Amino acid sequence: MAEKLRFAIYWAASCGGCDIAVLEIGHNILKLAEAAEILFWPAAMDFKYKDVEALPDKSLDVCLFNGSVRNSENEHVARLLRAKSKVMVAFGSCAYEGCIPGLANLTNRGDILTCVYQETPSTDNHAGAMPQTHWAVPEGDLELPEFYDAVKTLAQVVPVEYFVPGCPPVAAQVWNVLQAIIAGQLPPPGAVVGVGTRNLCDECERVREGTKVKRFVRPHEVIADPQRCFLEQGIICAGPVTRAGCGRPCIHANMPCRGCYGPPEGVSDQGAKLLSAVMAIIDPEADVEQLVQQIVDPAGTFYRFSLPDSLLQQAKWLEVGKR
Amino acid sequence: MSNPDTIDPKFKDEVMAELGGEHLLRCYSCGTCVSMCLVSRVSSEFNPRRTMRMVMLGMRDEVFRNPTIWMCSACDLCYPHCPQGIHISELMRAIKNIAVRDGYEAPGPVAVVNEEECSGCDVCEKACPYGALSLVTKVFDGQQRKVSQVNKNLCMTCGICAAACPLSAITVEEYSNEKVAAQIQADGWLTEPAQRLPGEPQLLVFNCSWNLRADVDRAALTRFPPNVRVIVLPCSGRVDPIFILLALKSGVDGVLVAGCQPGQCHYKQGTRIAQGRMRILQQILDQMGLDMSRVRFVQIGTEERGRFPALVMQMLADLKARMEPANITA
Repeated sequence: MAEKLRFAIYWAASCGGCDIAVLEIGHNILKLAEAAEILFWPAAMDFKYKDVEALPDKSLDVCLFNGSVRNSENEHVARLLRAKSKVMVAFGSCAYEGCIPGLANLTNRGDILTCVYQETPSTDNHAGAMPQTHWAVPEGDLELPEFYDAVKTLAQVVPVEYFVPGCPPVAAQVWNVLQAIIAGQLPPPGAVVGVGTRNLCDECERVREGTKVKRFVRPHEVIADPQRCFLEQGIICAGPVTRAGCGRPCIHANMPCRGCYGPPEGVSDQGAKLLSAVMAIIDPEADVEQLVQQIVDPAGTFYRFSLPDSLLQQAKWLEVGKR
Repeated sequence: MSNPDTIDPKFKDEVMAELGGEHLLRCYSCGTCVSMCLVSRVSSEFNPRRTMRMVMLGMRDEVFRNPTIWMCSACDLCYPHCPQGIHISELMRAIKNIAVRDGYEAPGPVAVVNEEECSGCDVCEKACPYGALSLVTKVFDGQQRKVSQVNKNLCMTCGICAAACPLSAITVEEYSNEKVAAQIQADGWLTEPAQRLPGEPQLLVFNCSWNLRADVDRAALTRFPPNVRVIVLPCSGRVDPIFILLALKSGVDGVLVAGCQPGQCHYKQGTRIAQGRMRILQQILDQMGLDMSRVRFVQIGTEERGRFPALVMQMLADLKARMEPANITA
């Protein structure tokens, strides 16, 4: 038998769902174990960073890196794994485009730390203690990772060969990607893999009749008609601006697409594109300002998964840089 | 004079029998409609008064052979001013309907759907103010797929669909995404330091093609200082928010989008769609901690002579004040 592939799987700023997504391939995990030796997977087995540091450079064939880069520890490990891996895969929406943790970029380090360590109702911090990166105690120096001002995607920190979208990637696509890796049949670097073609609407079986929107509603305010297009019911669905490939579990659960598979090919800003599409389908009789008010938390709605990887984020970094 | 052999005395009856054509004979050729008509300003061949008169005279062929009869965008600026209460855009539509039955076609250009990229999401059908787009089922490589189809006799090339299409699968060639992006970036306006006037802000303006009625305002478009770049699009509804973010991330200081007053929009709904997009975009910029005063949206009425150039210069002054060291906030 050929030599086994050498694998690493890591989580940075993530919820752990992407690690579970790997396990969700079910019995195929045995085929993975046959084809690959896993040298680092902290979420599943006991490894230490020093195990990775001890490896020669480029000695890992593939690293599946999930989670965004929130702090200096995330960045350190991203750089370490990059150096040790031939192929770096941004695995899941956090590593690919920033995802839910990326919504923290609507605020900043100072406000986040103040909120968490001083203002939350359950916090009692009279001394005003705040996390420090270094702290000397009689027993020695203690260190914590530095909390960054903004969440970054993996590709904003190190070069990345492939991107697997999804929050988390669905099991069928995870297995597709793993099979392609095992078979050595990956497309040219830079590709988004484990996806379908076009957008969600291309596969969606819901009926579209060209109905314009008189009122926007949030999913919890109505019981959606399970046969009809969500957008035509006034429920914001990110399907038109979301890459196909997930199999539409949300749609089948009568919930609109939230956009976790990221923008389709050629869309440079998923949030702005969804905004452009959604506000174009309004009914001529409806009051525009009322419709605008019906969209609660527009940044969170339109950029739910893609904020750090957006043009909006680049515009923000440019403005902050000029101040 | 027209050749008597080609006169069709029943033409007026045919138009009057068509939905929307009922009130043809009320017209006494006062010309108020033409004086209001924005299309007549840019294309003097388009003249609803003359068209109605020719219909009454039975000049069927001459009416249908005039390529401008397709240009009425049903903005309805003329309708409230017609002393006879003729809904002229409806009447023009009645004439177009008969023309289509006679085998005539609008000369174009029209929006073009790339069927390979189209997903059939149907956003364009809902966005189009003219009902010019609809889904059809076609077979590609043995597989049935729904794709959008343009009715070339209804399309007015406003570009609202192109801005709305999530996959950039619809293009109005003259105003394609690529061409607009190239205009934003042209001559290294935003990227080459040599192009910047020291201490002066750079302002990008997207203006619709129809909101400036006074010649003096139209002339102003070419007389702004070099740190103002005006991109004229058919409609403010063509402005994709991505254009604005692209300009902001490339270093522009401000973006002004100008459309028509609601109710006066040349493409009926474009300015409302732009209004919705711009309000939400401003909210998003604010949520993101960006200075939302850098992006403005204005709606200019047909009688607001001088307002557009004043707004541009005011925004330029405001952007400059923002750059003063005392006004830079941490």
